[in-house]
Amino acid sequence: MRHGKYPFVIGFLAAPVTIYVVFVIAPYAQAFYMALTNWRGLSPGKFVGLENFQRLFTNDDAFWKALQHHGILLLALPLITIIIALFLAFMLNVGGGSQKGIMTGVWGSKFYRVVFFLPQVLAVAILGVLFQAIYRPDGSGMINSLITKAGLEPIGFLIEPKIALWSIIAVLVWQAVGFYVVLFSAGMSNIPKDIYEAAMLDGATRMSMFFRVTLPLLWDTLQVAWVYLGIAAFDAFAIVQTLSVDQGGPDGSTTVIGMEIYRNAFTYSKYGYASAMGVALFFLTITFAALSLRVSRRESVEM
Amino acid sequence: MAIDTKPASKSAAPSPEKTRREVNILAGFGHAFLAVWALLIIAPLIWTFLASFKSNEEIFGDAWTMPGALRLDNWTRAWSEAHVGQYFLNSVFVVALSTAGTMLLGAMAAYVLARYSFWGNRIIYYLFVSGLAFPVFLALVPLFFVVRNLGLLNSYLGLILVYIAYSLPFTVFFLAAFFKSLPNSVAEAATMDGASHTRLFFQVMMPMARSGLISITIFNVIGQWNQYLLPLALLQGEGAEDKWVLTQGIANISTSAGFDADWGGLFAALTMAILPMIVIYAIFQRQIQSGLTSGAVK
Amino acid sequence: MSDNDLTRRTLLRRTAAAGLLATPAMGLLSACVTGGGEDEPADQAEGEKSAENPLGVDGKAPLEIVIFNGGYGEKYATDVHEPLYKAKFPEAQIKHSATQEIATTLQPRFAGGTPPDFVNNSGTKFMDFGTLIQDGQLQDLTELFAAPSVDDPAKKVSDTLVAGTIESGTYNGKPYVLNYVFTVYGLWYSEKLFKDKGWTVPATWADFTKLLDTIKAAGITPYAYAGKNAPYYQYLAILTSAAKLGGPDVLKNIDNLADGAWKAAAVKTAATQWAEIGAKYMDKSDEGLIHTEVQLKQNQGKVAFYPSGSWLEAEQAASTPEGFNYAVTPIPAADGATLATGLFATAGEPYFVSAKGTNPRGGMEYARQMLSKAGAKGFTELNKSLTSVAGAEEGITLSPGLTSASTVLKAAGTGIFSYRFDGWYKELDTELRTATNALMFGRETADQFCERMQKKADAIKADSSITKFTR
Repeated sequence: MRHGKYPFVIGFLAAPVTIYVVFVIAPYAQAFYMALTNWRGLSPGKFVGLENFQRLFTNDDAFWKALQHHGILLLALPLITIIIALFLAFMLNVGGGSQKGIMTGVWGSKFYRVVFFLPQVLAVAILGVLFQAIYRPDGSGMINSLITKAGLEPIGFLIEPKIALWSIIAVLVWQAVGFYVVLFSAGMSNIPKDIYEAAMLDGATRMSMFFRVTLPLLWDTLQVAWVYLGIAAFDAFAIVQTLSVDQGGPDGSTTVIGMEIYRNAFTYSKYGYASAMGVALFFLTITFAALSLRVSRRESVEM
Repeated sequence: MAIDTKPASKSAAPSPEKTRREVNILAGFGHAFLAVWALLIIAPLIWTFLASFKSNEEIFGDAWTMPGALRLDNWTRAWSEAHVGQYFLNSVFVVALSTAGTMLLGAMAAYVLARYSFWGNRIIYYLFVSGLAFPVFLALVPLFFVVRNLGLLNSYLGLILVYIAYSLPFTVFFLAAFFKSLPNSVAEAATMDGASHTRLFFQVMMPMARSGLISITIFNVIGQWNQYLLPLALLQGEGAEDKWVLTQGIANISTSAGFDADWGGLFAALTMAILPMIVIYAIFQRQIQSGLTSGAVK
Repeated sequence: MSDNDLTRRTLLRRTAAAGLLATPAMGLLSACVTGGGEDEPADQAEGEKSAENPLGVDGKAPLEIVIFNGGYGEKYATDVHEPLYKAKFPEAQIKHSATQEIATTLQPRFAGGTPPDFVNNSGTKFMDFGTLIQDGQLQDLTELFAAPSVDDPAKKVSDTLVAGTIESGTYNGKPYVLNYVFTVYGLWYSEKLFKDKGWTVPATWADFTKLLDTIKAAGITPYAYAGKNAPYYQYLAILTSAAKLGGPDVLKNIDNLADGAWKAAAVKTAATQWAEIGAKYMDKSDEGLIHTEVQLKQNQGKVAFYPSGSWLEAEQAASTPEGFNYAVTPIPAADGATLATGLFATAGEPYFVSAKGTNPRGGMEYARQMLSKAGAKGFTELNKSLTSVAGAEEGITLSPGLTSASTVLKAAGTGIFSYRFDGWYKELDTELRTATNALMFGRETADQFCERMQKKADAIKADSSITKFTR
């Protein structure tokens, strides 16, 4: 491995690093600069120092509202998704009990596995149209059709400020669960089956087996899932913009930072200010990622 | 079947009453939940398929009724006027090339970063990994100018390069971990035999990393297939409509629905976009899932 | 910065697009390049001025026209306006093109100093007027409006237009933009439905609420607007009521960000009255619907009144049932209104001439031809829309909705008003949409509505980074 190492290393890194620097690093660097200007899209902006950030932190209700929503998303999205996915994965892998000493999934596991993952292959643009039809606030909505048939008042999934954000979260969960079912299934299949057998010999029920065997041994995978979902919780823009009333409404009850960036850049032409929001979002995401990676053991695997 | 009785656990013999009850309750609830969740996924898709034959009035009537007639003209309109077929092929073209590029370049970078020590290794590694936390939004406006100044605006080459660039952080992050985990012995043996670094990479390491490569490929295909913001920003200008990818096409039809109601056509287009994905997914689902699992749960 | 962009049907396109995903204004990205300053002034064609050629057009100079290929199509340009120009200057070569993406196609050309001569700056991706003006890209149209009109040389072009047209395209005191399509706003309903049910259109607010009661009793939703993407239509209704109560100055004060403009008694009363309509006569689910969805309900006879502009009939043509007969009635005035017969109406669909193009005189002449009787009539015939040319629709068999709009417009006489803040201050527009939904769907009171809007207006006034306009 000694001879000609450097030419090889450089040869292999040149193309990826160049592309990455040109299309990713350079634009971000520019964005950081833009955040310090009052650029409005045409004639070059003036350098205004930290004015944008000052305004952002002291005088922007919408931004703070969006931050709160990310807080909710950060807790709810991973928690709900992981719980559902864990349960489903457990049923699919271990729920059927043991057959000749091998833990099996429930009847139809293969079918469920295929179906659950399906939302993953749907583009957000498609998801938006689909859930508009699902959530429509009158009898023509897929859910409200059933509700009104049952003689109840239709639910304004996206128009009641109290539940609108949860309706959005439900969409994110709906899409995400399948992926984590697969992820957790893989984790479960990696658990040596003699551990289960030993647990069975100890007389464990499936319930206690789940908590005593499956969960602890999946811990690393769960942490990975939490990091992924947490990063996803900082986005959510596309779904909010597609589904929500009045772009982040009603009354700002579903807005997220991406939505506010979009509004400031493309509706108000405040590119400088929007970039400042983007920088804030960047630090939020990277802080979260760094914290989670530190907690999780993944980092040690890498380094 | 037995869970809590010792003798039964070794044999597949029918279990005592008590165990069966426990199994039944859990299995009953579990089955119900599995079925409900599956229904939650399938029902909207079936609804969309049915809606593709409905008239506007039917779509906005009661949600769960059958279409009054098989309105195939919805499909004709979506195909010919909304160009769904064209956009689908465009997407296939772009994603095929960009994923291939991402995997090649990503694997090269990840391999070198994982298995060679040299000055700057960590810096470059972290440069890539930090990209995981960048919100694409932040870069959108400057990116537009970068692409424009390179004369790549409204070209597939530009879009593909950008897709590759934005997929690299994830790809490098995971593949580096993967390459690191590969045993040293094989590589050493190959080097002993006089294999060059390049040959070692392509003929020894790549095949060994196959499962990891497959899983990351799948991630990238899904991610790039669903990309909307980047093509929206970068495929614009004269004649851009012919180059649009599928997500843009769907978005465009849905946008038009805001002022020019052709809901039947919209859902027909939607079905056209969804169906091939389902078919492809159904065919490859075994590989997709096993690929995912081998990479992500390392 | 355009005041026009919201007074057209394109508003809806834009909100619809925005409602979906980041479609709109992506074109604005390309706006960024227009640094300005380094463009070289092009050699501009100029001919001899004469009675026949009042704008001094060089008859041989080529003229480049770019049309927004949207709801109005491009046929009116290729079949009506361009032949008119060609008839006058047979040697001139007209280069015509049409696009749905004005900004993306044209921004680079404006940046590069080779703009087309005449542009229909409309659609989802229109170019920002404020920035274009700042950059000196737009030709001052004073000369055009002062020129003799095509049909009657004794009359100036400005005298042939519907009142308020020039004002609607004026920025910082100069007319830069020609708004060509005249839009009447009011409550739209099906004449057939009303005839069948024996309902008569209300003249006063009291009649209005009484009728809404009757309609409600008949099992039809009396009043609706689409909360998801068209709260703009409803705030237009609220502010129309306010203007009728307190006179057009109420709107002028709002535009000028005058202190306390939103707390004026007229605004508060109007908000109170409309909140009551919202509470009593609206379907809650409409807040989650988009324009077309609510329109479909109206087409099916499930909704009686819908606030909108006069493009509605043409836009809905495909889905409107036979014999539906769209008609419009002005928003009824409350007791004690100072301007009971007033009407919200304004010119929209903007066109401009490039100041830095090669043939600005040709561009202006083209606009003069558009504003001729023949030009306007041709447009109305093709697009079922009124133009800013006064009385140009005479002699054309108008569709039911357009007849109705034309009648309402005549009845209003000089009592026409509109506002421009929605285009000047997007932040205020956004806030008002949100506040309107909150008011109409019962989450906030009229007091909170006024309070909230005033707060936003004050914030905008205090924000030095926002360019201010006055009228």
